[in-house]
Amino acid sequence: MITHLEQELEAVKTRIFEMSDLAMEAIARSVESLKKGDVRLAERVIQGDSELDRLEIAIDEECVRVLVTKQPAAKDLRLVTAFLKINTDLERIGDLATVVAKETIRMAGKPPVKPLVDIPRMAVLCAEMIKESFLAIAERDAARARGVIGRDREIDELNMQIYRELFSYMAENPHSISPALSLIMASKALERIGDHATNIAERAIYYIEGVDVRHGAHEGSEGE
Amino acid sequence: MDKITSVNLTFSYGGVPAIKNINLTVEPNTVMALIGPSGCGKSTFLRCINRMNDIIPNIGIDGDILIDNESIYHRDFDVTGLRRRVGMVFQKSNPFPKSIFENIAYGLRINGIKNTYEIERTVEQSLKRTALWDEVKDRLDQSALGLSGGQQQRLCIARTIAVAPEIILMDEPASALDPLSTQKIEELIQDLKQNYTIIIVTHNMQQAARVSDHTAFFYLGELIEVNRTDMIFTKPDNEMTENYITGKFG
Ligand SMILES: Nc1ncnc2c1ncn2[C@@H]1O[C@H](COP(=O)(O)OP(=O)(O)O)[C@@H](O)[C@H]1O
Ligand SMILES: [Mg+2]
Repeated sequence: MITHLEQELEAVKTRIFEMSDLAMEAIARSVESLKKGDVRLAERVIQGDSELDRLEIAIDEECVRVLVTKQPAAKDLRLVTAFLKINTDLERIGDLATVVAKETIRMAGKPPVKPLVDIPRMAVLCAEMIKESFLAIAERDAARARGVIGRDREIDELNMQIYRELFSYMAENPHSISPALSLIMASKALERIGDHATNIAERAIYYIEGVDVRHGAHEGSEGE
Repeated sequence: MDKITSVNLTFSYGGVPAIKNINLTVEPNTVMALIGPSGCGKSTFLRCINRMNDIIPNIGIDGDILIDNESIYHRDFDVTGLRRRVGMVFQKSNPFPKSIFENIAYGLRINGIKNTYEIERTVEQSLKRTALWDEVKDRLDQSALGLSGGQQQRLCIARTIAVAPEIILMDEPASALDPLSTQKIEELIQDLKQNYTIIIVTHNMQQAARVSDHTAFFYLGELIEVNRTDMIFTKPDNEMTENYITGKFG
């Protein structure tokens, strides 16, 4: 027998998965716009963010409603509290994707400083981390979620590498300062997205196993 | 259209009002929970909806109750028909001291159903609807009094729905049951609203939150607040409601 609580949790789950798809799409598109200097695409990312904001509010309301009317316990309670937090992470990821998109618009018409390689690489890593975390939730597979934690270090290193590279461009050519700063902003946004992706994996572990792995509270984590 | 509408309903026992000026509507296929401290008039209000209070001497009634927009206190109103259209489930399960089968079949017969096949089919359907069939199908001819408290209560619900009512009134239907039986009744209530309109009186606020779409808070015979259940339990408008649901009184 499927209880009414289970039905409602399933409905919230569907929504948050939908939101994760939108967030991953926003990351991919924002970086695509940056790479190609595609202002139209960047504008679409910025417009699309309102859908993420709308979902965030809807999911929050839905979670509060389930908490008060179904009074979930144990893993059901952990699911709702984890979703409430993941919801915020996804909304922030959407905001950060618009930061990248805005840099595309700022750089519009200016010659590219350099071909983009590392920033798209960061974006792929971020999307993979999010995807893995959600698969972990779907399959209640904590090992899978643990595999995500620590991967943002790779993103951090790419970020630092981009900084060093762009500083050298700026030192050589003052005209590159403005577009280089745009890329630094974009890179920083992706680095922050990696942090939120890590948060999502941590919340996934909390949901599945009930342990809090944040800030190295238990094994496995390097903290936020 | 609203299924049930209470219009300025005031009801008194021996000249003392037990509920005052109640205005309340219940939408079809929803669950309305009535909450409030003991003696605030919840059961009185419930019994006004199937005119069960009529049999008590020295009562006074003012205002009206409409079902499908029709006044049930109008003198031409068919009260016998009303009892079939509005089923009731009580706190203490009250199966007849007869077989499980007869408990349901009896009500069908007095409602004029004579066809054995139809009776058997309805008994089975009602027991399935209340998730009791698998538990009792091999002992339908045994006494209903041999069932557990939770099973007896589900049998009473099966008996109620067998005669195809439109409205089911429940007065603390789970207050005498263990947690597992309570959970089964609560799941059942949420399933049944697809076909019926349900009003449930409960002392358990968490239960009201779990099973109902709307909640009405009664206090000293007055309806203080009625709203969507999630609103009542997250942001009630009235301070008295807030105090009650947060356990500050009652
Ligand atoms: N049959 C009755 N005769 C006289 N007074 C009654 C009768 N039933 C209830 N009352 C009174 O009406 C008021 C409301 O009671 P009731 O409807 O049973 O409240 P609740 O169900 O909220 O506990 C109480 O003061 C109660 O004493
Ligand atoms: Mg009562």
